[in-house]
Amino acid sequence: MNALAQANPWSAVPIGEHLFLFSPLIVLLCTMLAIVTCPIILGRGTRPVLAIASLGVIVAMIFAVQVAGEVPYGGTSGFSPGQDAGMLIADSLSSGFQIILLIFMSGVMWLWWIGSSESERNAPEFFILLLGSALGMLLMVSTTNVLMIVAGFELASLPSYALVGFDKRDRAGAEASLKYMIFGAVCAAVMLYGISLIYGIVGSFSFPVIAAYIQENLIFSGDRLVLIIALACFMVGIAFKIAAVPCHFWCPDAFEGAKVEVTTWLSVASKAAGLLLLARLVMLLCSAVPHDKVMFVLRALAWGIGIMAAVTCTVGNWCAYKQTSVKRLLAYSSIAHAGYMMMAAAVFIHPGVAGHQAGLTALLVYVIIYLFMNLGAFGVTAMVVWETGNDRIESFTGLMRRAPWLAVPMVICLMSLVGLPPLAGFLGKWWILLALGSFEVVHGGSQWYSFKTLGWSLVIITVLNTLLSLYYYMRVVVRMTLHDDGQPVVRASIRGLMLVNACAALLLVMFFLAGPLKEIAGRCAEGLYNPGAALSPATQPVATVGGEIE
Amino acid sequence: MNILTLIVFLPALGALLCLVVPRPHVRTVAVLFATLTFLVSLSLFGSFFGGAENAAGSFFGSSYGTLHNVERADWITGQRFAIEYFLGVDGLSLPLLILTTLVGLLACLASWNFDQWKINKGIRAYFILFLLLETGMLGVFVSLDFFLFYIFWEVMLLPMYFLIGVWGGPRREYAAIKFFLFTLAGSVLMLVALVAMYFYSDSAINSAMIAQGTPGGIESGYRDGAMLTHGTFDLIELAVNPAIQNHFNAASTVFLGIRFAPLMFMFLFIGFAIKLPCVPFHTWLPDAHVEAPTPISMILAGVLLKMGGYGFLRLCYPIFPAGALDWAFVLAVIGVVSILYGALCAMAQTDFKKLVAYSSVSHMGYVLLGIAVMTEAGFQGAMFQMIAHGISSPMCFFLVGVIYDRAHHREINRFGGLWLTMPRYGTMATIGFFASLGLPGLCGFIGEVWVLLGTFAAGSKFTWAYPMAILAASGVILTAGYILWLIRRVYLGREKEEYAGYSDASARETFILVPMAVLCIALGVLPMQTVFNYTNGTLDLMLQHIVGVIGMVS
Repeated sequence: MNALAQANPWSAVPIGEHLFLFSPLIVLLCTMLAIVTCPIILGRGTRPVLAIASLGVIVAMIFAVQVAGEVPYGGTSGFSPGQDAGMLIADSLSSGFQIILLIFMSGVMWLWWIGSSESERNAPEFFILLLGSALGMLLMVSTTNVLMIVAGFELASLPSYALVGFDKRDRAGAEASLKYMIFGAVCAAVMLYGISLIYGIVGSFSFPVIAAYIQENLIFSGDRLVLIIALACFMVGIAFKIAAVPCHFWCPDAFEGAKVEVTTWLSVASKAAGLLLLARLVMLLCSAVPHDKVMFVLRALAWGIGIMAAVTCTVGNWCAYKQTSVKRLLAYSSIAHAGYMMMAAAVFIHPGVAGHQAGLTALLVYVIIYLFMNLGAFGVTAMVVWETGNDRIESFTGLMRRAPWLAVPMVICLMSLVGLPPLAGFLGKWWILLALGSFEVVHGGSQWYSFKTLGWSLVIITVLNTLLSLYYYMRVVVRMTLHDDGQPVVRASIRGLMLVNACAALLLVMFFLAGPLKEIAGRCAEGLYNPGAALSPATQPVATVGGEIE
Repeated sequence: MNILTLIVFLPALGALLCLVVPRPHVRTVAVLFATLTFLVSLSLFGSFFGGAENAAGSFFGSSYGTLHNVERADWITGQRFAIEYFLGVDGLSLPLLILTTLVGLLACLASWNFDQWKINKGIRAYFILFLLLETGMLGVFVSLDFFLFYIFWEVMLLPMYFLIGVWGGPRREYAAIKFFLFTLAGSVLMLVALVAMYFYSDSAINSAMIAQGTPGGIESGYRDGAMLTHGTFDLIELAVNPAIQNHFNAASTVFLGIRFAPLMFMFLFIGFAIKLPCVPFHTWLPDAHVEAPTPISMILAGVLLKMGGYGFLRLCYPIFPAGALDWAFVLAVIGVVSILYGALCAMAQTDFKKLVAYSSVSHMGYVLLGIAVMTEAGFQGAMFQMIAHGISSPMCFFLVGVIYDRAHHREINRFGGLWLTMPRYGTMATIGFFASLGLPGLCGFIGEVWVLLGTFAAGSKFTWAYPMAILAASGVILTAGYILWLIRRVYLGREKEEYAGYSDASARETFILVPMAVLCIALGVLPMQTVFNYTNGTLDLMLQHIVGVIGMVS
């Protein structure tokens, strides 16, 4: 045992204190096991399952909040290249994401409780899959080990495939599930291929080690091309999760075919996990590079991510134009929003702490706000679908008369998705625009390929997309408010109205709490970019579990 | 609480109250709050009558940016970030603020007969949206933080969309979405300028500090080694800080390879020109005006159009004088084309409301021309024209509304002899339309003449100023043409059978028309006491500043 391992004795065998940092994950796992055994002991009813699952989420949430208090913000959450960086890490980002995801999951479960708890015959299976995918997403964001990333990726994906086709009698769902699975399988295969290349070059699965290797061998290395191909392949997997163009084709089909609860779940959770994973990896790559040198690879990466983001949001918005199914429309809208969020990731590749901080903060604020916008919009859609039996845009006609308490929150959520102040959706865009603009100050250079050009181009693309998106969101609004063809009143349960109106109210409130919201997100983002850590072996992760597999 | 905050949020409070009061009382609450807002806004004059500044001669300003009733508080702050809640009035915003509360009140009274409208469902929603719209408008005029300005600017969009879209005429849906898309197109460009101005001002302050040898800046050490300050959204600071002005207007400052000042000027200009509207961007206006219900037309013409002109004077010109110089010719051409094209279009209309709408385009052309030439008389005339048009055009729209309520059509050629049928209404109509025409002694005259004088005066600076002035002056003839022709066709001539039984303007209608008629005359007879005394101090100082910066950079 060398000295470094002594300094970091829990790297192989976790001790209780550090196991505690992963308690939310463990609680979710235990909940899954409890649900597996539940049918044997308590029968296959929905109530016990829902009770256990809710209890599990609540307990996990309590632990997550506790952990968030334990994890020191800033500074220590980096990594240690060349050493035994662990399989799992707990830092402010991962615990922040845990809280966000658990809040969202309770919203989705609430939706399921309203819509499916009476008719669903396979509740235990549903919740095992839901919790399983949640666990996978949390793992994706709590690791820097490539192998663990793949494990988390698959754990998130496989239950999602099944969730999309959960209703066996529904042909559309089965088709959607199949498409989703095939697409996912291909993307996962490409990603694994990339990883095999990376391992072949670097000889390690630890991303910090990989980043350090890139740093050392960047300038003129024989296998630079291979490395770039490998990273690009790796990127495919992440792009699949984010549904970034050109890996977005599964998204509208899966969203349309799946039950509304599942669509809601996938629209935010899967994308957020993918984006935060991307953020973490990009941060690690940049941390490894001394920021006085702007490396070719980083510049290429920034432009690559930036262009991908720009294409993603433009394609998403254009494709949403002609949609007649609201679920599909929202699917394309979610692609567009993923594009906006990805722009933040382009900012990470930014010399200096300020850009990283601004970019990741913007991304987190966006995720938090996006969660409520989508929960509200899909919630209303769900209520209309349950009442009318389809999600055609015609089903929304005259909703203002048929159900004003659904129509008003829907208008608010959609306008927030456009990004119209004074709704929170504007803030999401606003912080991203500011992060993009900050290239102007922090990094000079007036060449056409400079970061400054990238930043301002993305600013312009974002605002033009905002304009573009107005029209298709307004199509739904127009249907709801200006048209009326005498369809019967929509009866929605009080629980449902509570959910969507709470989301709409939150969107208004969060706008005025812009400062605190940013501060919270900023605390989660702080210290993730840690250039010192790449160079000095002194900085240790907060906690790691398990050793490096060589 | 600061009086401006009170003024801005009183209507919003009224909107909240409208949510809960029983349906028959909603309109009472709305009128009550509109009245309250108006009365409170009148009290802003108080600090100028008999105050210390009164002795100094002009009410406003020993220097550009002397503000009254200032309220400043941090709103969103963070590391290297400060968005403020910053309100204040100066000579630019005070008259427009009072105009807004007045037109708001009158439009609210004009909505009193909501029950008799063709679409009379949702009275609660109507007045809530109406009051929210008023809050947005007032906020735009008093906010001096660009971010805050932008928020209020956008807050107006959705209420206006629904007010046109739900309660409008047959083509309301098209008109409403067109209004929404046009305005949002302008505001996204403004958003780019908002972000860009923030970071460029950051750079400017930063380099100024390096130059002065004060390492550290306002918030130092944020980025490793390099110093960091933060930029500003403060509209006054952006205009008067020499470091920022130098950086913004220098030829070497570029944005994506294009000179910064002209580009940003254009971004902002397009945003405001859509609102104004001037010719290439005006097509939403006739649609929106024709489809909107009468009170909303009044608001549109009386207040919303003024935001364009206000935006030029608050943002474009003081902050980017170099851009203003570069674009002066183009802007003047756009202004003249708006004057002539608007007038010619108005002449061709057979729809009463559309005629008034196109006359707005024509009148707003004078505003743009007056601002574009950058002379004292031009600025003053443009400002006066905005106020005058803000009174005469809501009056014209209301006059159209009064007759539409009775006849249920707006075909100019089907009317005739209305003065005989409705003498009180006819008299008011004559005052309103003559004011719009620019008859000496009424409000429209002063603004147009000042703009023309200003344009001639610019002849020493710009060779193209004389032809422009001559063309613009010929617009006056066109205006006289379509207005006189209109009056002849609608109000003069024999009494028609069809309209014989029409009741004259009711007490409510007269009550709405009289204040506007009085103001039309008052502004025409006493321009100094009613407008110029309040506005000129600020405008002249602003112009000195603009000319100074232009001289400095070129």
